[in-house]
Amino acid sequence: MTKGSIVAGFIAPHPPHLVYAENPPQNEPRSEGGWEPLRWAYERARASLEALKPDVLLVHSPHWQTLVGHHFLGVPKLSGRSVDPIFPNLFRYNFDLDVDVELAEACCAEARAMGLESKMMRNPGFRVDYGTITTLHMIRPQWDIPVVGISANNSPYYLTLDEGVDEMIKLGEATRRAIEASGKRAVLLCSNTFSHWHFHEEPALPEDMTKEHPQSYAGYKWDMRIIELLRRGEVEEVMRLFPQWVEEAFAEVKSGAFPWMLSAMGFPKTPAELHGYGTVIGTGNAVMEWNLEAAGA
Amino acid sequence: MTVVSAFLVTGSPLPMLRPDNPAWAPLAQGYARAAEALSASKPDAILLYSTQWIAVLDQLWQTRPHSLGTHVDENWYEFGDLPVDIRVDVPLAKACIDGCASIGVSAKPVDYQDFPIDTGTIVADTMLNTLRVPLVIAANNVYHDFASTERMAAMAVAVAAGQGKRVAVVGVGGLSGAYFDRSIDIATDHVRHPADDAANRAFLDALCAGSDAARAAVGAFASATKADMGMKHLAWVLGGTGGFSGAKVHGYGATYGAGAAVVEFVLA
Repeated sequence: MTKGSIVAGFIAPHPPHLVYAENPPQNEPRSEGGWEPLRWAYERARASLEALKPDVLLVHSPHWQTLVGHHFLGVPKLSGRSVDPIFPNLFRYNFDLDVDVELAEACCAEARAMGLESKMMRNPGFRVDYGTITTLHMIRPQWDIPVVGISANNSPYYLTLDEGVDEMIKLGEATRRAIEASGKRAVLLCSNTFSHWHFHEEPALPEDMTKEHPQSYAGYKWDMRIIELLRRGEVEEVMRLFPQWVEEAFAEVKSGAFPWMLSAMGFPKTPAELHGYGTVIGTGNAVMEWNLEAAGA
Repeated sequence: MTVVSAFLVTGSPLPMLRPDNPAWAPLAQGYARAAEALSASKPDAILLYSTQWIAVLDQLWQTRPHSLGTHVDENWYEFGDLPVDIRVDVPLAKACIDGCASIGVSAKPVDYQDFPIDTGTIVADTMLNTLRVPLVIAANNVYHDFASTERMAAMAVAVAAGQGKRVAVVGVGGLSGAYFDRSIDIATDHVRHPADDAANRAFLDALCAGSDAARAAVGAFASATKADMGMKHLAWVLGGTGGFSGAKVHGYGATYGAGAAVVEFVLA
């Protein structure tokens, strides 16, 4: 069997506003649009993904937060209606996704072998979180590529940040081993916003873009600093700054997807491509890609 | 009298899903005794606040008249599903939304089919509300502090009084926050840290001594034990009742290492 590989990784944030703005048939609320620069960024990411022709998408979402270990979706087909508990006015989405249970089980087993508490989620009535769904919809609205869904274990919050990051780095290594053994072409999705400072009240018309801007200038500056470093391939410097970034930008990357993905990709030194940046209720969101195949990694 | 009873209860689904587990049975049994007390108080509505219904934009209130379905908890799915059959006192909830303006809080209704009502609300409604009294459910906005949560509960009670309704005030949440982050034999579940166990018990003693003692104890307790959401579910009870003269602990135990209790308050 051919050795599997991670062909690319994307930072693919999940504000449900982006799905709302796009008016797909799966989402009940209708909008007048909005957040176009971010949606155009996802258009570019979609084209890149299409060219990569992956067998599977793996997504790590902060909105499936688990207390006891790292959990993996383990039901072949999951469908239902996902209503965002924070933005129910914007996101009421009928989802229907295929899970690559075989790869999920392999990731879970590798994680266990590395000493991580890990388990498979086998309940067919499970409601997939809106972070997972939004990221998957925005990167591949056709829903024709099987998925591995991974929870965000609470360790970065419950333990020290360093201990939590160490867990995610191990999870990334376990993910890479499982992918290599699977023979599959995999794309990783880090479902995270950068600066997470946000407004506390919603405009009467959520898509009124005259109300949209960075909530925090300090957060915005962190976003630009990190994007610039990633565009230069300075991942080591980003990881050195990680604790300060998390603290000062209230960055959602604390939840683990970012170190998970970078670890799985071997902390690539190749420059990341910025597909676009924009704010959503004041938070900073970048759509970025490491095309490892093109880089020959 | 508007407030006819008040309770602080755990929102963990574990005692509900596995009441036969020896470690969780005291909480399930405590819930049964509290349910009897709530029924005896004959409320027209229950004003409920759960730490697990998280909001970050505005203050959210459930206004869907009837929510029916099945809920699967994102952590404890292996222990079973939670049936949902929740009725809401819509006129009272809408009046609370209007009342938020009077305390400077921006509020919104939530009336959506398949809205994921949080596990804590479902557990409390199932275990405590055997009369099937309609609820008024307020979200836990993470940016609201202890004092503003008290003000919101007081506002809700005042609004209920304006409608001539008798209400039970229910705060849903845990005690000490440290849980087991590795799998355990659930039959041996216990409060993870002995110091937390001692702090939980001392805090419950403070509740039994009345609201002055509870107020004096809550800050230090919450910071020492990383208590659930800074014990804002107690703020809801304090604000709603305007104070209590004592309490009865119907059940105490652990939910995967975290502290949990079922408490009935003696109204002042």
